[in-house]
Amino acid sequence: MTKTIDCYFWNPDLGIDDTLEFTYEDIGNDIELKKPVLTIQALEKILEDLKKTRKEYLLSLDIPDVIDKIGRVASLWMDPGYKGRKTALDVLPTVTGFSPEMLEYWGFDYFLSTMRKENLPLFGKLHPHEYREFSKLSDGLVKAYGISTIIHSKFQPEIIGHVCAGNILGIAAFEMIMDKLVDAATWVKVPSEEPVFGALYAKSIEEVDPRFAYSIAVLPFGSDQKSLQEFLFSKSDIVRATGGELTRKSLTELSEKYGVPLAGHWHKFSFITIAKEYLDSRARGIAELASLDICAWDQQGCFSPQEIFVELGGEVSPLDFAQLLAEEMETTTRALPKGTNSGKIQVLDGYYQYLTKEMMGEPVKIFPSKDHQWLVIYDQSTMNFDPSPLFRVIRVKPVADIMEIPKIVKPIGRFLQTVGVAIPDTRLIPFADAMGKVGASNIRTVSSMTLQKSWEPWDGRFPLHELMEHDTVHWVSIDTRNIDNELQFALKRKRSIVDERLKRNGTWEKKE
Amino acid sequence: MVRFPSEEWIALFKEELNKNAAYKEAAKDWEGDFLFVITPDEGLKKETVFYVDLWHGICREAHLAKHNEKAAFVFKGPYSNWKKVINNELDPLRGLIRGMFTIDGDSKIILDQAKAAQELVNTARKISVDFEG
Repeated sequence: MTKTIDCYFWNPDLGIDDTLEFTYEDIGNDIELKKPVLTIQALEKILEDLKKTRKEYLLSLDIPDVIDKIGRVASLWMDPGYKGRKTALDVLPTVTGFSPEMLEYWGFDYFLSTMRKENLPLFGKLHPHEYREFSKLSDGLVKAYGISTIIHSKFQPEIIGHVCAGNILGIAAFEMIMDKLVDAATWVKVPSEEPVFGALYAKSIEEVDPRFAYSIAVLPFGSDQKSLQEFLFSKSDIVRATGGELTRKSLTELSEKYGVPLAGHWHKFSFITIAKEYLDSRARGIAELASLDICAWDQQGCFSPQEIFVELGGEVSPLDFAQLLAEEMETTTRALPKGTNSGKIQVLDGYYQYLTKEMMGEPVKIFPSKDHQWLVIYDQSTMNFDPSPLFRVIRVKPVADIMEIPKIVKPIGRFLQTVGVAIPDTRLIPFADAMGKVGASNIRTVSSMTLQKSWEPWDGRFPLHELMEHDTVHWVSIDTRNIDNELQFALKRKRSIVDERLKRNGTWEKKE
Repeated sequence: MVRFPSEEWIALFKEELNKNAAYKEAAKDWEGDFLFVITPDEGLKKETVFYVDLWHGICREAHLAKHNEKAAFVFKGPYSNWKKVINNELDPLRGLIRGMFTIDGDSKIILDQAKAAQELVNTARKISVDFEG
């Protein structure tokens, strides 16, 4: 029996459903996606209602009430028995191409927990002059770079728009939640690659408090429907967008045309750095953690690592680390398999490209998986930063000193985002500082690269502050103040995900 | 009417808080002391700091803080913003989000105890005050 999934959400009392046409897209596995054919008239009504709900209800709520509602919604999603979660798990593997294991054990159990109430950010604006050195913030550290020149300021936005990319699950949900903390009504344009989860999350908010939910509209339409996008843009106080180069170009034009500030998060590069101190008996554990960063979301996020720099001088050489990593990639992939959009071609391309280099005597060595699910490449042929073909293809490069890395990645500085690290505390601050100066914004413990803490900056700006004010300060965070503790915690978490899965499917092998 | 900020005000605040049943219920799991820092602007010429010790719905101690007194949480903002909070023109958590106040301490606990924080503010609003200028 075909399951029909609504990919839209707004106040059902608006009465526009009867006036709109709907399309039904069969995506296979007995699932069809129901989407409205939106019109400017319908959007006018939706926006009017969003404003009314904000004024009459959202603004009357105290922030503790808002936090409480957000927390109740997050708790629903943490419950494996929640019907919305079950529906999502039924349909999202087909919609997104991610494996059910990735969605459930990484996505729902960990990624979405960033929206639990105790993890919400309680500050929108920090004062840069108080953070000119790495200073405590939540359980980590932050530092402000650059002079603060305010470009845009509106601390009570009425309507915030969001244009979401489809590579990672959950962005739409994160955006809805952030907007409520700044008392704003929300429209979200969900991506055509993944139009489902935003509407499901909005419906879960409706279960907790319908009026609260009706300050949100989830709108699926294609980027080719320019008049709709233009209309929504022109009626918003600010638009935050994630996406690629085409999205950046088209939205920048709209931003300039209508004078509506755009908070854009575009294509980025991330990588891992392993210091020699951790290349001892802990090296296998570090390889385990790195494998999780590479496997998470099939390496599709801007925070996914594309290279690993391994410092020379440890007990385990970078080449031996690549071997360990290959073994761990196999294990982690068994627990968190790749999805159906597996990018097998990309893995094969990488394989043949580097097989040729290896045969020609270049200083490279490939560690392939039997069925091309992943590929580890040890590459000593160049020190330049090379983008990965992704889909679990990673290059390991030796580096004499981790402090050489900022120079190596400087040419792509403005595209840098997350640096996964296993670097002792004593060397971490100077490294983070040098990376911050080059352009990176998030230094995270290896295996946590795709788990943004909500207090951390996003591409150098704090997620709440960015909705109210834009300035020229670039913020850099370190996700912990004690890397040893964080690594131990991360290893327990990784093993609870991976080893538990393997124990359940009977393929777990005890490690030395 | 008592002057805000003053020793009289904080003494009255302690008294009112310990009479507030809603606070007692909301803060039954709360453990931790606060420094409320009022930085000078408008009519306030000198920084004023209150120390408040809160323990499972009871205010055990509240006084003008002595030099270098420490607490688990420090909630800080300019006098003009404190006035807005007390006059019910500003929700202090909204103030935090908009950068009008800062907090030092484990924000997870504050988030978990947001209702208790709200009752602290509601109590402060019950006290009739005279402001400095």
